[in-house]
Amino acid sequence: MKIFITDGSSDSFFTAFFDAYSEKDCIITSCENVQPRFDSVVVRTESDGEKCERVKRGILKYDERALNDVLMTLRSCDSLKEQAAYDYLKRLFERKAPVGKAYNLPEVIIFNEIKDKVGKEIHKMTGFLRFMESKSGAFYAPYAPDNDITDLLMPHFAERFKAEKFVIHDTKRKIAGVYDGRDWIMCYAGEAEIYLSEYEKAFETLWKKYYRAANIKSRPHEKQMKGYMPVRYWKFLPEKHDGG
Amino acid sequence: MIDEKKLEILTESAKYDVSCSSSGSKRANTPGGLGNASFGGICHSFTPDGRCISLLKILMSNECIYDCEYCPNRRSADVPRARLTPDEICELTVNFYKRNYIEGLFLSSAVFDSPDKTMELLCETILKLRKLYRFNGYIHLKGIPHADGALMMKAARLADRMSYNIELPSEKSLKLLAPQKSRQSLIMPMMSLKEAMDYDRVNKVRKNKVLPAGQTTQMIIGASPESDGQILKLTEALYRRMNLKRVYYSSYIPVVKSDKLPAAGAGLLREHRLYQADWLIRFYGFDVDEICGEDENLSPDYDPKCAWALKNMQLFPVEINSAPLETLLRVPGIGARGAYKICEARKFASLDFDNLAKMRIVLKRAKHFITCKGKFYGSDSFAQVKTSLMLEGTNERAEQLSMFSERSVSLSALTGEL
Repeated sequence: MKIFITDGSSDSFFTAFFDAYSEKDCIITSCENVQPRFDSVVVRTESDGEKCERVKRGILKYDERALNDVLMTLRSCDSLKEQAAYDYLKRLFERKAPVGKAYNLPEVIIFNEIKDKVGKEIHKMTGFLRFMESKSGAFYAPYAPDNDITDLLMPHFAERFKAEKFVIHDTKRKIAGVYDGRDWIMCYAGEAEIYLSEYEKAFETLWKKYYRAANIKSRPHEKQMKGYMPVRYWKFLPEKHDGG
Repeated sequence: MIDEKKLEILTESAKYDVSCSSSGSKRANTPGGLGNASFGGICHSFTPDGRCISLLKILMSNECIYDCEYCPNRRSADVPRARLTPDEICELTVNFYKRNYIEGLFLSSAVFDSPDKTMELLCETILKLRKLYRFNGYIHLKGIPHADGALMMKAARLADRMSYNIELPSEKSLKLLAPQKSRQSLIMPMMSLKEAMDYDRVNKVRKNKVLPAGQTTQMIIGASPESDGQILKLTEALYRRMNLKRVYYSSYIPVVKSDKLPAAGAGLLREHRLYQADWLIRFYGFDVDEICGEDENLSPDYDPKCAWALKNMQLFPVEINSAPLETLLRVPGIGARGAYKICEARKFASLDFDNLAKMRIVLKRAKHFITCKGKFYGSDSFAQVKTSLMLEGTNERAEQLSMFSERSVSLSALTGEL
């Protein structure tokens, strides 16, 4: 059995899919530490522009939405994302028609679950991202999402804060989206040093006071709070600092 | 900058309003402006009581000329009072919004000086926010009963959503508990707003539309003797004739000693059941008469859909692979998403019991009411079905009660509209 190892990019995945298409049984993954079976052959995939294009064209021919769905799934932190996308696309090519709603197939259910998790995190972050105002008047929001979603968040905030300048910094992946008041770009960003504006602390304090006052103390329901707002996100939420 | 203490007082007084949603509006950003509305709404935080924070929910003032029996802010109550200026509210909203703390503003107020004066200041605040601060985020404004109609219409062209709270489920109770508010003063503004929205829709008005996210209301449950059937009849009328987006219920818990009010609270289970019934009316194609008779109460033992199904066993079981969507929606354990998924999936292959489990249908309940490819997996004995559904109902109840049953609840829990 062959194990295709990609470099984690979508191009690398589509190339691997092309090479793996005729295999009966194979694994596609971007995980380096995959445990090979005794009879397995490891193949490292280099992105190939032409193979990549052919696969994408093929997908679009059968289902216009599937390409976007696959690209979304590939942003996941799930180590099975490539395999899920592979199994899903195999079904699509087999049927030559959309399979996204064939909930009777386990491959479709698994694929949708991974994809929906990415979509849900994007929606959650439109609410949980927290900006602080810097001395220069630009806004800065650090966060560490589970999935690679920063460039998908940028359009939402660029529309909302059209006239502002802001940076959204994924500290886990060391990348940032930068909006200058007109256009946005993605770039590398290691450590950031921020000088806060003179009012920043005061508004943060008001927000914490508001958060505490809005809570109905006599009706505690921590489980529900944590379900909606998982603890791993709290690091970047000022209202959850110092015991909020 | 706004005083911390004031913010605390006016947040505390506003937090019992149940509504928190920021959905229903597609307001776009303007050139050089700040913000837009997200149609589905966005939650920005969750408090330890499990509720979401979407909007900055505050009162402009908690100084009230009214003396509503159930309200902690009523004139005769001895509580700290505070008032904010329009500028203080605008500054706070804009700065919270820019930091992505909130989705917009939920502004309400106790009635100070006079209804007109109060409404005028509320209007001035949101006008400033829209025009001076060029704020295009979500605004929910609470309407002040008895205020001038022109003021209301002015506000309705600036806000995304407005609500007049109906307070109590019948005119008689309103007269007894909130004598200074009349049914007329609550229903009339809702009617005029509905007519204005209808006009905009018919004439395809795009600019400065009246309330793009519509109207909502709220009523207190259990402070007065109305049955669930009466409450749901009223709810149905509000949805179908008044086109309301939401009706909120808040279960009464005594915070105020009064011989006009019951000594015991209504309990959260009743509120929960009403919301379940509300959902059945809005999304599942049920009429109130099917769920609850005029003078009846909803069963505490089963959720309203189970209760309905148990009374209509002759309609079941239904075949998953052929039943129409409307029928699937009526099966206990199958929700709106589940029904939709079944309809989509069965175009590909006929479904068996295992498929449904993988699609996360609640089979514990559903199995008694369905067949898959003709096969039935439920119990043949009606008594057994009843018991197993009731057991689940009891779990629900146990959880509900244990969560909120502490003695301290009665001191500051839901009292409804403030």
